[in-house]
Amino acid sequence: MTILVVVAVILVVIVGSQLLKIAELRAASKGELIYEITEKEGKLHGLTMFAGFFVFMGFFFWQMWAWYGLKLPVSASTHGVDTDFLANLTYVIITPVFILTHAVLLYFCFKYAYSSTRKALFFSHSNKLELIWTTVPSLALTVLILYGLTSWNSIMTPIPEETDHVLIEVTGQQFTWTARYAGEDKKLGRSHVTLIEGVNATGVDAADENSKDDKLVKGEFHLPVNVPVQFVFRSLDAIHGAFMPHFRSQMNCVPGLKTQWNMVPTITTEEMKKITGNPDFNYVLMCNKICGAAHYNMQMDIIVESQEDYDKWLAEQKTFIE
Amino acid sequence: MSTHHHHAKDFLFTYVFSQDHKMISKQFLVTGFLMGFLGLVMSTLFRLQLGWPGESFEIVELLMGSWAEDGVMAPDKYLALVTMHGTIMVFFLLTAGLSGTFSNLLIPLQVGARDMASGFLNMLSYWFFFISCMLMLASLFVEGGAASAGWTIYPPLSALPQAIPGSGTGMTLWLVSMSVFIVSSLLGSLNYIVTIFNLRTKGMTFTRLPLTIWAFLLTAILGVLSFPVLLAAALLLVFDRSFGTSFYLSDIYIGGQVLDHSGGSPILFEHLFWFLGHPEVYIVLLPALGITSEIISTMSRKPIFGYRAMIGSMMAIAFLSFIVWGHHMFLTGMNPFLGSVFTFTTLLIAIPSAVKVFNYLTTLWKGNIVFTPATLFSVGLVSTFISGGVTGLILGNSALDIAVHDTYFVVGHFHIVMGLSAIFGMFAGVYHWFPKLFGRMMNNKLGTLHFWISIICAYGVFFPMHFLGFSGVPRRYYTNSEFPMFDDMLDINTLISMFAIGAFIGQLFFFFNFVYSAFRGPKAPQNPWKGNSLEWTSPVEHFHGNWYGEIPHVYRWPYDYSKVNAQGEYVYGEDFIPQTTPLGEDEKDGGH
Amino acid sequence: MTTITMENISYQEDIRRKTSKPLIWIGIVSIIMFFGGLTSAVIVSQGGGEFLTIDMPFAFTISTVVILLSSVIFHFGLISIKKGNYAVAKISIIATLILGLLFIATQYMGWVNLYENGVYAVGAESTQESSFIYLLTALHIAHLVGGLISLIIVLVKTIKERYTLDNMLGMQVSITYWHFLGALWIYLFFFLKFIIA
Repeated sequence: MTILVVVAVILVVIVGSQLLKIAELRAASKGELIYEITEKEGKLHGLTMFAGFFVFMGFFFWQMWAWYGLKLPVSASTHGVDTDFLANLTYVIITPVFILTHAVLLYFCFKYAYSSTRKALFFSHSNKLELIWTTVPSLALTVLILYGLTSWNSIMTPIPEETDHVLIEVTGQQFTWTARYAGEDKKLGRSHVTLIEGVNATGVDAADENSKDDKLVKGEFHLPVNVPVQFVFRSLDAIHGAFMPHFRSQMNCVPGLKTQWNMVPTITTEEMKKITGNPDFNYVLMCNKICGAAHYNMQMDIIVESQEDYDKWLAEQKTFIE
Repeated sequence: MSTHHHHAKDFLFTYVFSQDHKMISKQFLVTGFLMGFLGLVMSTLFRLQLGWPGESFEIVELLMGSWAEDGVMAPDKYLALVTMHGTIMVFFLLTAGLSGTFSNLLIPLQVGARDMASGFLNMLSYWFFFISCMLMLASLFVEGGAASAGWTIYPPLSALPQAIPGSGTGMTLWLVSMSVFIVSSLLGSLNYIVTIFNLRTKGMTFTRLPLTIWAFLLTAILGVLSFPVLLAAALLLVFDRSFGTSFYLSDIYIGGQVLDHSGGSPILFEHLFWFLGHPEVYIVLLPALGITSEIISTMSRKPIFGYRAMIGSMMAIAFLSFIVWGHHMFLTGMNPFLGSVFTFTTLLIAIPSAVKVFNYLTTLWKGNIVFTPATLFSVGLVSTFISGGVTGLILGNSALDIAVHDTYFVVGHFHIVMGLSAIFGMFAGVYHWFPKLFGRMMNNKLGTLHFWISIICAYGVFFPMHFLGFSGVPRRYYTNSEFPMFDDMLDINTLISMFAIGAFIGQLFFFFNFVYSAFRGPKAPQNPWKGNSLEWTSPVEHFHGNWYGEIPHVYRWPYDYSKVNAQGEYVYGEDFIPQTTPLGEDEKDGGH
Repeated sequence: MTTITMENISYQEDIRRKTSKPLIWIGIVSIIMFFGGLTSAVIVSQGGGEFLTIDMPFAFTISTVVILLSSVIFHFGLISIKKGNYAVAKISIIATLILGLLFIATQYMGWVNLYENGVYAVGAESTQESSFIYLLTALHIAHLVGGLISLIIVLVKTIKERYTLDNMLGMQVSITYWHFLGALWIYLFFFLKFIIA
């Protein structure tokens, strides 16, 4: 088999070389140089380029048509709605730019393909034109930057202490997630890697008053709808990325650091099942920073439900001290 | 001429330890392409896994051996392939292969010098590069496999062999190889800068330099300023890995054990890495932009539009590239205010980039475009630069980055804007300067075929990736089958993989054309494209020194194409005026 | 066809004259970026949290005096050659070489002193700051070794009286690098004193 492939490759190379040599000799016999592009060939190139524009745009719109439905459903968090709007605004600006510049580029290729009867225009600069295409992008950018920074700052502002919220610490380690609820006192107890022992897999400090009523869960964690959630992220080994795509939320988990994230979930899992028409739908927390061999399978389910269901579920969970 | 021929010695000093910039250029080109071919094979292999996850392929088993039992690669070896693909493509093909080839070939020829400032350092630069290649390849064969922490080698993953097998000997070799690579790159850059500043021929003022030279100059400056910082980052990582220091490590529990590192931070590594990493993007891209500027102007028989604006925008891009590194780290928990600053500086890059695109378009407008394969690839570059550039506005905006950070959207974006643009620039350069490199011409028909297969398959691979990103598919996943929400995305992945195989086959046409033409192609005339710049005034045959007799003097800028007088006739009867032609009495320089 | 001028010695001399100094200056720029990267790494990592105070060993102060003195003497050697006084030049270059070695010795004394005070380079008891002190000084010495090698070359050439008023490029390059090493040490000294210690 291998020998057959090698022989075939050698044959192809030999035949290819001979064809090239023949083509060259034929051109030479007609008094032409094989590497010179004739006017006819040039026109054909220009035409292909222009046709390429329609093929390219066809491909672009076909993808939009075929795959638009596969994108993430409507954002299930308040800030996500805001950033989705900004994203759409950006697309409204960049899609026409993308299409028009390609139209111009490929039309020029067609229109100005080489002709021996025409002279190219000696046109080397124009301050006016340069000024236009420095200013116009600048203006568009100003809008995007201002909107983006406003959103960014409001997203990154931590929830004030006095606001009613859920406090959760999420710890990543190869290749699993653990969530810890702050419990009744709304305070997370101290934790450190040196305290990891047996079932205490994330190193919670049992001596700390605040940890006594903390609740650790694995596999899935629940969130009440319409209540702000303050996340604290930790990692025990490599850098992990806590990615919750349906909430447009993402933050890295860095060993030795505590990172933060906050969001307000607005759609319960049940409601989202209806919106997506998928009875098996589940929110998910996935790892999005390369962290080792099983990086592709580091997940935890998220259940968003009403306050009552949430309270009921939380009451069933054991506290750390138990 | 000496009548005594010491053949072995002649061979050694002509082809191996040559100090002639043209030979060193060819050495860089061939080594870079060989490395690039390996990177291409790797990507095709892991595309097989992504397109048909878990399926057994004989070819995978044949090439990967024990890394792929029963023809299915192991998850950590998938990551090794991804890491090596990224490293090889970014550093070995698109930094050393692209910049090393064309800076070496064109700087002395286009500024009018007999060779680089120091031929010896130049030779060292290549041989360091060669050693670095060998070390990187050796890492594929060591126990535990090659480095597998992604090309960005973030610690702690890259620092702890317990975290992934590739972080053992493979990672050590990666770090040693990169350190040698950095030395090579610095030696090269030193030479490029000094040659451009000090060895220009008479009359070659800075405003008469071709844009290629400006691009290479800025690239070299970026290299000198940013590569030492990567060296520092790598050095600290070596100490953490081998000597128990805690620069990047803190509070780690792994493999059932608490490590005694404390006080360090992986974020420090990210800062140091991306301080190089972002300029590196432009180290890769600027030479390609320079090459296309030159080709688009020459082949549309028009002066480049806005010569000074082109230089200005390249300078702006080069400058901005040093103050935007934080946009790779929006979600590392860094100060949100810093995030805002980096958003602002990042989006500013769109302005000089837009200027470049519009200038390219205006250069083509009312031109007389000769479609060589080089022209095709240059137009391809303008297209990928647009397609990949516009999505930068999404990723550079910190608020939007949250949703698409590290998803396939990013993979699509940077492969198009940086990978494709740079490699298209490199292909354009090879087709255009092949006569200068090898004294022979490449075959146009095969070149055209290569272009169309490349651009169709490249867009077929990378455009759908944006849609994967919209669905939240993270990058660097061995398979998406663990998440039911990604089940519908398998078809897209299969389609992408088919295009990837197509792209691989397309490159074979290029390699065949390249090797055939280098040995058997038709002999090249001295100035096949009717170009103005100085390299076309040097004879076709290669010898150390570039010009017989005196180095020609320069009297005008290199873009006097289709210049007509008041009667509408070409000023010198031809549609091009070489830089060596003195200015006529009523002529002004610089396109006025 | 005229001869190929590449093999012409005077041409190569001309290239050397034009490019030696820029080469060393750009090389220096890259070394500055290297140490700039490392020292900013110290600042970035200190933003994070607690750090202990470390007493600077007195030996480092002596190092500073030694390297400054060596620069002055080396420069004096250059002036002597310009005046054609080779005897004085030889002595000054030998003195520079000795002072360079003395610098390394004082650095070593500094390390011993640090180590005795419980400041460790590596291992469980090291901290970022302590590791950085050793690393930065050691890397400076690594660059200094390059300077010493160039000094030896300069010394040999001086003994052979190769330098003339219009041909002392090698020495000028060496002296530029040496002054830079001095300046680099002073930067590191104050950086260590005020940022780490």
